[in-house]
Amino acid sequence: MNEDAFQKLSIYVHDARKPLNRISMQAELIKMALNGDVPAEKALVALDKIIASTKDCSATLSELTAEFSNTHVE
Amino acid sequence: MLTVLLVDDDAEFTEVACTIIEFLGHEVLTASSLEEARDWLKKETFDHILLDFMLPDGSGAHLFDELNSLPKSPRVTLITGHPSVKSVIKGLCGPNIDYLVKPIQREDLEQVLSGKPQGKSKKEDSIKQHFGLLIGESAPMKELYKLIERVSRTSANVMLLGESGVGKEVVAAAIHRASESEGPYVATNCGAFSKELIGSELFGHEKGAFTGAVGRKEGVFEQAEGGTLFLDEITEMSIDMQPNLLRVLENKVVIRVGGTKTTPVNCRVVSATNRTMEEIAQSKVLREDIYFRLAVFPITIPPLRDRKEDIPLLARRFMEEFNAENGSQFTWKDSQLDTLQAYDWPGNVRELRHFVHRAAIMSDPEKSAIELPKTIESPFAQKQSTSPSLQAGRTIEDVEKELIYATLEKVSGNKTTAAEMLGISTKTLYNRLHAYGDLSKDEQ
Repeated sequence: MNEDAFQKLSIYVHDARKPLNRISMQAELIKMALNGDVPAEKALVALDKIIASTKDCSATLSELTAEFSNTHVE
Repeated sequence: MLTVLLVDDDAEFTEVACTIIEFLGHEVLTASSLEEARDWLKKETFDHILLDFMLPDGSGAHLFDELNSLPKSPRVTLITGHPSVKSVIKGLCGPNIDYLVKPIQREDLEQVLSGKPQGKSKKEDSIKQHFGLLIGESAPMKELYKLIERVSRTSANVMLLGESGVGKEVVAAAIHRASESEGPYVATNCGAFSKELIGSELFGHEKGAFTGAVGRKEGVFEQAEGGTLFLDEITEMSIDMQPNLLRVLENKVVIRVGGTKTTPVNCRVVSATNRTMEEIAQSKVLREDIYFRLAVFPITIPPLRDRKEDIPLLARRFMEEFNAENGSQFTWKDSQLDTLQAYDWPGNVRELRHFVHRAAIMSDPEKSAIELPKTIESPFAQKQSTSPSLQAGRTIEDVEKELIYATLEKVSGNKTTAAEMLGISTKTLYNRLHAYGDLSKDEQ
C-alpha cells in the first residue's frame, strides 16, 4: 500500500471510529438509565441512536470497500 | 467539582459526554472547534480540558501553547482516535497532559477527571480473578475454568494432578466456591499425619479410643458435611489406610476410631497429588479402586511454563498484594516482567510469588522501582540469570565468555563437545578458559 492509499484508509478508519465512540457513550447512558441515574426515556432515545450509529459505521465501511476496490486494487 | 471544557466537533458525542460529566458532579461547557474553544478560554477559567485531536479548524495540539500561557493552566486530556497518536503526544506534552483513545467509556472520563494517572488503576482492575481466586487468561487456564465450571454442577469427586506449586489447593477452593454448596470447605494434608493419626484425622475418634484421646473428635469427613473435603497429597497416604478410605467413599458413612456407630457423610472429595497418572499407575502408591473412586473427574493443572503469558498478570497481582499489606507503591517495569516471563519457574506459581515478595523486600520502600535480584535462585533448577544476555553496553568478550560457560554447562563440562557446538577448535576453547583463569596449566 502506498502512502496516499494509507492516508485515505486512515480517514475512513477515523470516520468509522466516530460512530463507535457514539455507541460507547450511548451505551453508558443506557446503563445510567437502568440504574435510575437519568430518566428511563433517555435510554430509548439512546438505543435508537445506537442503531443509527451502527448504520453510519456500516455505510463508512461500505464506502471504504468501494473506494479501495475501484482505485487501489491492481 | 471541576469546571470542564469539552472540545469536540461530534455533537452527539458531546451531548452524551456532558450528561455523564454532569452526573459525575462537574460543570461542563462545550466547543466544537478551536475557535470556539479559544473564545471560552478568554471568558472562563477551566480546571480540565477534554480536547479532540482532530478538529475542523486544526489539531487540538494547537491549543497547547495558549493553555500553557494561561495564569492557571488546566489539566488537558487529548481524545484521539488512534492509539499510535499517544506516543507522539507523550513526546509533545508535559506531565499535565494525558490522553484517551476512542471509543470512550464512562470510567475513562471518571478516571481522567479524578486526576488519577491514566491507565494505571485500569490495568490493576483488569486482573480478573476467576471464581474469585484464579488468575490467568491463557488458553490452558481457560480450559481449566471450563472444567471447573462443568464439574461444579455435579457432585463428582475430583482428582487434581499437577506439579508442586501450580495451585492445587486454590483450584480445590475454586471448585468449592463454584459449586455454591451449603457446607464448608475443609482441607487436610494426607502426607502430614502419621499412620496412627490419619485415621483419627479423617474419620474422627471416640473418647478413650487411644492414649491421648481425651474427648470425642469429629473427622474431616464429618466437618465437611454438605461441602467440600480437600485431601492434599493423597498419594502419600499409607497403602494400609486406603481400604478404610475406600469404605467411606463407597458407603458414604464413617465409623469413628474406637467407635461402632456409623455416621452418614455427604461431601464432595477433591484430592490432589503432584504425581502424574502414569506414576500413580506404576508406583502403586494408590490402590486402583481408590483411584477410580477419587478421580471420577481428573483435572490436570498446567505448569506455569506452559502458560507464560499469565506470568505478568500473576507478578502484578502478587506485587499489589505486597503493596496493600505493606503500604508500598512498587510497580513493575515492562522489561522486568519480560525477564520474569522468560524464566521457566520449575517451582511454578508458588516460586513466582516467593520471588516477587523477595524482590519487593529487597527494594527501597521509599521508591516505586523494584530491584530484581540478579539471579532467580531455585533449588529446583539451575541458576538462571535475570539480566538479559544480549544487551547494548556489554562487550563481545563478555557475551562470548557467558556463551562458553553456558555451553559447557549444557554438555556437562565435555570440552570437545562444547567446542564442536560453539564452532571453534578444542584448542581455542582451552585457550579461552585459560584466559579466564579457569584452567590449570596441566589441563591444557
